[in-house]
Amino acid sequence: MKRLFFTVLVVMCSTAAHAEKIKAPIHIGIGVAQTSNVALFGEEQVNGAKVAEAVFNAKGGINGTPFKLVYQDTGGDEAGAINAFQNLINRDKVVGIVGPTLSQQAFSADPIANRAKVPVLAPSNTAKGIPQIGEYIGRVSAPISFIAPFAVKYALQENPKIKKVAILYAQNDAYSTSETGTFQESVKKQGLEIVTTQKFQTTDSDFTTQVTAVLGAKVDLAVISGLAADGGNLVKQLRQMGYKGLIVGGNGFNTANVFPVCGKYCEDLIVAQAYSPAVIDTNPMNKEFVTEFRKKHKKDPPQFAAQAFTAVQIYVEALKKVEVNTKNKITQLDLATVRTELNKAIRTGSYKTPLGEISLDKEGEINQKNFYVSRIKMEPNGKSGKFLNVK
Amino acid sequence: MTTAQFLQNLLNGISIGSVYAIFALGYTLVFSILGIINFAHGAVFTLGAYLTYAMAVGQFGINGLLSGLSIPVQLPFPVALLLGCILSGLVSVLIERLAFRPLRNRGGDALLALVSSLGVALVTVNAIQYFVGSEIYSFPPEIYGDIKPAITFSISESVVVIRTVQVIIFGVCMAVLVSLGFLIARTRFGKALRAVAENPATASLLGISVNRFILYTFFLSGFLGGLAGSLVGTSFGVAGPYFGVTYGLQGIAVIVLGGLGSIPGSVLGGIIIGLIEAFVPPDYSAYKEAVSFALLFLILMVRPQGLLGQSQIQKV
Repeated sequence: MKRLFFTVLVVMCSTAAHAEKIKAPIHIGIGVAQTSNVALFGEEQVNGAKVAEAVFNAKGGINGTPFKLVYQDTGGDEAGAINAFQNLINRDKVVGIVGPTLSQQAFSADPIANRAKVPVLAPSNTAKGIPQIGEYIGRVSAPISFIAPFAVKYALQENPKIKKVAILYAQNDAYSTSETGTFQESVKKQGLEIVTTQKFQTTDSDFTTQVTAVLGAKVDLAVISGLAADGGNLVKQLRQMGYKGLIVGGNGFNTANVFPVCGKYCEDLIVAQAYSPAVIDTNPMNKEFVTEFRKKHKKDPPQFAAQAFTAVQIYVEALKKVEVNTKNKITQLDLATVRTELNKAIRTGSYKTPLGEISLDKEGEINQKNFYVSRIKMEPNGKSGKFLNVK
Repeated sequence: MTTAQFLQNLLNGISIGSVYAIFALGYTLVFSILGIINFAHGAVFTLGAYLTYAMAVGQFGINGLLSGLSIPVQLPFPVALLLGCILSGLVSVLIERLAFRPLRNRGGDALLALVSSLGVALVTVNAIQYFVGSEIYSFPPEIYGDIKPAITFSISESVVVIRTVQVIIFGVCMAVLVSLGFLIARTRFGKALRAVAENPATASLLGISVNRFILYTFFLSGFLGGLAGSLVGTSFGVAGPYFGVTYGLQGIAVIVLGGLGSIPGSVLGGIIIGLIEAFVPPDYSAYKEAVSFALLFLILMVRPQGLLGQSQIQKV
C-alpha cells in the first residue's frame, strides 16, 4: 500500500512538472555565494543582477511579462552549490540559472542542472571545460588567454628597457594558475627573461618572503595573478618594501575591492580587464548599466557585477526570442518546454551587453571581442580610485 | 640561505608570532579557568578588527545593512584601538553570560560549552556580514603617523627590509605581554585569578567571587583577541568576516604546542609557529599550516602536554 502511494505520488509529481504552466512573474534563478569567504564576489554578482532586474523590468520585462530573480545562497563550497541549484530547479521552478560563483562549484552543481534540462549561465567561471559540462551549460565570463598579452605589451611600451621579469601567482586558485601560464608565455614571446617565479595562496596575507625574492632578483616588471585581497596585499608590500618597477595585475585585480587593500600603493598598477566601466560612449548598454549602478552604489560597477548583469540580460532577450520562436507567450508554455527552448535561443544571435557585443557558440562558450588594459589612478586620500583605460 | 635572508625571516617570524602569542593568550586564559576552548575567540578577533576600523576610519562599502555609512567622527588610532579592544572584551563577557554561564549553572558537559561557543562564533561572523558585507576594509598607512613604510638596513653587504608596521606590532605585543605578565604574577587581582584557576571551590571559600573572576577573564581574553585582530587588520587589511577563521585555528595550534593553560607556553608557541611560517620557503607557502601542524604532531608525540605544559595541568 505504502509503495503504491509513493508510486502514485511520483507519477503525480512528474506529470505535474510537465504540465505546469509558467506563472508571471517568470522566475530566473541566481545561485551565487552570498555567504562564506567567496561572498566578496557573490555580493558583487547580486548587485549586478539586481540592477539588471530593475532595468529590464522597467522596459517591460519579457514583452510585457515581468520577471523576478530568485536567490539561493550557494556558500563557498560544492555541497552548497548543489543544494542551491536543486532548490532553484525543483522548488523555485526557475526557467534558467545564473551561477555558481566558483568554477569548482560549477563542476559539481552544473551536471544537476544539465540532467534536469535547465539552462545555466556562468557569470564568473573561467576554468577550462565549463561549457563542456553539458549542452545546457554556457558562460559569459571569458577565459583569460586573450587578455594577458595586451597587458604585457603595454608594460613594454611604457618602459622599453624592461629585461627581467618576476612572476607571482596564487597557486591554489584555478583561475590564477591558468592566467599565469598565459602571462608567462607572452612574457617569453616578448623576449623578456623570467628571473624568479613566486607562488602564494589566496589566503596568504604576509608576502615578505616573496617580496624579498623579487627585490633580490632586481626585476623591472612584476606580473601578478591573484585575487583582490591577496593580490592587493602583495602590491602593497612590494611597494612598501621598496619595489620601484612596473606591476601588471591579472584579471583578479579588476575590482574596486582592490583599492582599500593596497590604498595609495595601488597607483599606476596595470590591470588586464574583461570589462571596463569606462567604455560608455561607444556602448549604450554599458552606459545605462553604469549609470544605474552608480545611482544605487555611488561607485563604478566591478567586472563580476557586469557579468551577472549580462547573464540576466541574455536570459531576458532569449526569453523574448522563445516567444517569437514558439509564437506563444511564455506564460502559455509549460516549464520544461520553456527551459529547452530558452537554452536553444541563448545560443543564437548576439547580444549588446555591458561587456560589448557578445554571443555564445553551440557549446555555450562566450565569444567576446573587447578586452581592455587599464592603469589604476588613486584619489589623493588614497582610499578610492579609478581604472583609467589605456587600451 | 644568506645571513640577510635568515635575519629577514627571523624578524618576520617574530613579528607575526607575537600576534599569535597575544591571540593565543586569550584562549589560554579562558582554558585555565574553565578548562574549555572558547571557539568564539576567533570571531571576537574579527569583530575587534571591525570595531577598531569603525572608530578609526568609519567608512563602509556598498554591501550589508550599513552600506554607504560613513561615521562622521573619527578617533585617533590609539584611542580607537583601545576602545575597540575594550568593546571586544565586553562582547567576550557577553558571550560568557549567554553561551557559557547558563550551561555551567545547569552542570552541562564541557563539550556542550564548546558547541555553544562554536554557535556564537558562527552567529557573530554572519552578523558581521549582515551589517557590513564581505568587502575588504583597510586601515590607511597613515594611522601610525607619518612613518616610513619600511626600515632598511644592510648586513654583510646585503639588504634587509622590514615593514615598519611589523615592528610596531611587535612592540605593542611585547608591551601587552609584559603588562599582562605583571598583572597576573604581581597583583592581588592576578593572585585571585590564579586561585580561581587552581580551584574554584577553594577560591570561593576564600571570599573570591568566582563568577566575577570568570567575567574578568573573558574580558581580558576578548581584549587580547580584539587587539590581535586590529593589529593584523592594520598590517594586512580586514579581509572580510571570515578572516579570523585561519587565525582561530593557528591559535589553537599555538596553545596546544605551548601547553594548554600555560601562559609562557602560549607566548613560546606563538613565536615558534610564527617562525615556522616565516621559514617555509614561499614556493611551499601552501604547506605552511601543514608544516606547523606536522611539527605540532611530532612534539605532542614526545611531550603530550605541550612544550611548557605540565603533566598535571597547573592553571594560569
